[in-house]
Amino acid sequence: MIKLSGIEKVYRTSSIETLALDNINVDIQKGEFVSIMGPSGCGKSTLLNIMGLLDEPSKGEVTINNRQLKGYKDKDLARIRNQEIGFIFQSFHLINDLSVLDNVEIPLLYRPGSGSKRRELAKEALEKVGLSNRMKHFPTQLSGGQKQRVAIARAIVGRPSLILADEPTGNLDSNMGNEILNILLQLNQEGSTIIMVTHDENMAKRTNRLIRLFDGRQVS
Amino acid sequence: MIRHFFKLIWNKKRSNALLIVEILVAFLVLFGVMSLMAYNYQNYARPLGFKYEQVWCLNMHWNQDTTQIGEKLKSIYQRIRTYPEVEMASRTNGNTPFANNQSNRNVKYKNVNIQGDIYGTDEHYAKTLGIEIAEGRWYTRADKGAKHTPAIINRIAKEKMFGKDNPLGKIIQLEGDERWKIVGIVENFKQHGNYQANTPAFFNLNDWDMGSVLIKVKPGVDANFEAKLMREIGAMQPEWVFELSYLKTLRKSMNQQTSIPSLIFSIVCGFFLLNVALGLFGVLTLNIAKRKGEIGLRRALGAPAPAITIHFVGEMWVIATLAVLVGLILAVQFPLLNVFDLEASVYVVGMLLATLTIYVLVTLCALYPSIQAARVQPATALHEE
Repeated sequence: MIKLSGIEKVYRTSSIETLALDNINVDIQKGEFVSIMGPSGCGKSTLLNIMGLLDEPSKGEVTINNRQLKGYKDKDLARIRNQEIGFIFQSFHLINDLSVLDNVEIPLLYRPGSGSKRRELAKEALEKVGLSNRMKHFPTQLSGGQKQRVAIARAIVGRPSLILADEPTGNLDSNMGNEILNILLQLNQEGSTIIMVTHDENMAKRTNRLIRLFDGRQVS
Repeated sequence: MIRHFFKLIWNKKRSNALLIVEILVAFLVLFGVMSLMAYNYQNYARPLGFKYEQVWCLNMHWNQDTTQIGEKLKSIYQRIRTYPEVEMASRTNGNTPFANNQSNRNVKYKNVNIQGDIYGTDEHYAKTLGIEIAEGRWYTRADKGAKHTPAIINRIAKEKMFGKDNPLGKIIQLEGDERWKIVGIVENFKQHGNYQANTPAFFNLNDWDMGSVLIKVKPGVDANFEAKLMREIGAMQPEWVFELSYLKTLRKSMNQQTSIPSLIFSIVCGFFLLNVALGLFGVLTLNIAKRKGEIGLRRALGAPAPAITIHFVGEMWVIATLAVLVGLILAVQFPLLNVFDLEASVYVVGMLLATLTIYVLVTLCALYPSIQAARVQPATALHEE
C-alpha cells in the first residue's frame, strides 16, 4: 500500500540544520491500521506529511500503490492526494464559513463530477459518521467530537484507499476520543488502510501495528 | 466550483460588504468617466459639418457709433471681397464657429416645438465654410424678397421636427410669430467644436447689421495680409474695434474647453482607482495571510497550485460580480429615465467599459497575492493553523 525507504528529512535555516527524520523504513500493507507514537517533536507529523505527499523527503523514496513517486509533478501529487488519500487533522481544519455538507464536499470539488453527485456522496459520508442531521449546521455550531466526525466524513467522501490521521483524538475528551477511534476501526474493517499518529498508548494498542519514533529515528 | 465561490462569499457577506461597496463606488465612478469619454468620442467622431482651415473670423465693434452702421458694415465687407487674397467672405451674426456666443430660439412646426441654434447669415456662408447641402439648396440673394425668410436646417432638426417627412417648402414658426420657409438641409453643424453634440441648427438669410465676417483666404496667404487687412479696414472706421482670429486657433481653444476638464476628471478618477486597487491588493494579501490554514487544507485535499490561484481570483470575481450587478442596476436607470438627454448607446458603452475595467482591475489586484497563496507549502500552512 505505502512503502517508505531510507527516508530522511532535514530542515535547514541559515545557521541551523535539524534532522527531523533519519533513515525511516516502513512498509504498510493494504487493510492495516497502524499507529505512530513517540514524544513531541520526534518527527511523527513530519513522517505523516511525507506519507501524505504534503512534504518532500530530503532523501529516500515513497511508494504508494506500487508507484515510486520521486519526480512526480505537483499536479500529479495533488491528484493522488485527492483520489487515494484522506486526511484527518487534530484541529479538524473545517472551514467555518461553509456548512457541514459543503465542508465534506471539498475534496470532490477537485475532481470531475456533477454538483448533485457531489452532494449525494457527501450526504452518504455524513450518514456514515452519524451526522446526517447536522448537514446544514456550521462548524461553529458543533461540538469537538462532531467536528472530528465531519472531518472523517470529508476524509472518506472521495473513497480513498489510505486514511492518514494526525492525532485525531488529541483535542477531544476520552469519550469522544473513543467514539472517533471506533469510527476509524469501523472504516478499517470495511477495508480502509489507516495510519494514525497518537500520543495515547491505549488507542495505539487497539490498532494492528505500532511504529515508535524517537528523535527522528524508528525505534520499533 | 462557481457555486462554491458564491457560497463562501455569501456566508462571509458581512466581512465582504465593505469590499463590495468599494468596488461598487469604483464602478459608478468608472461608469461616469467612461460614459463621458464615450459621449465625447461619439461627438468627436461626427463631422463638424464645415471646413475651418484658412478661414478667418473678423469681429467688428462699433462702440458709440450709431450712424449708418449698416452702410458702414457693407462697405467694409465689400472692401474685404476686393482683395485678391480673399477667396470668399460671408457676413454673419456674432455666433460664428467656435465662438462662445450662442443664439437659441424655440422653433415650432405643427405640434412639435424644439429649441435650436439660430444662425443669421448671408448667402455666401455655405461656400465660405464649405458646408455641403444634403437636400434642397442654400438661399440666394433672389430669396430676399420672398414672403417668408428662407431657412436651412440641419439633419437633427429635420428628424426632430419632421421625422421622415420632407421638410422642403414647409413653413416653420419662431418665437414672436416670425415664419421661415425651409429651402435646404445640411448634415451636421457643430458650432462649439468637435466635442459638441449635433444639436438642431437653423440658418436664415439675414440682412441686419451683422458684425462678423468670415473670410476664406487663398492657400499660402499669411500674416502679412492679415496686417494689411487690419490696417486698411481700421483706417475705414478708426473709431471701431476690429478683432481677427483664425478658426483653426479658435477650434483648438474650444476643444480644450471640453478635453481639459475631461482629462482632469480622468486623472482624478485614475488616482481614485489606484487607491481602490491598493486597497483590494492589501485586503486580499491580508485575507490570504489569515487563510493559510484553509490553503493548506485545500492543497492537502487535492487542489493543485493553480487551483488555489483560481480560487482566490474566483472569489474576487464573485465579489466584483455582486458589486457590478448592483452598479448595473443603478446605471441602467440613466438610459431608462433619459437622464441628461443622451443617447442610450453612450450609457451602454459606459457600462461595458466600466464592467470590463473593474474585472481587469480586480484580476490584476488578485493575481499576485493569489499566486503567492498557491506557493504556500501545504505542510507549513497546516502547521501554522
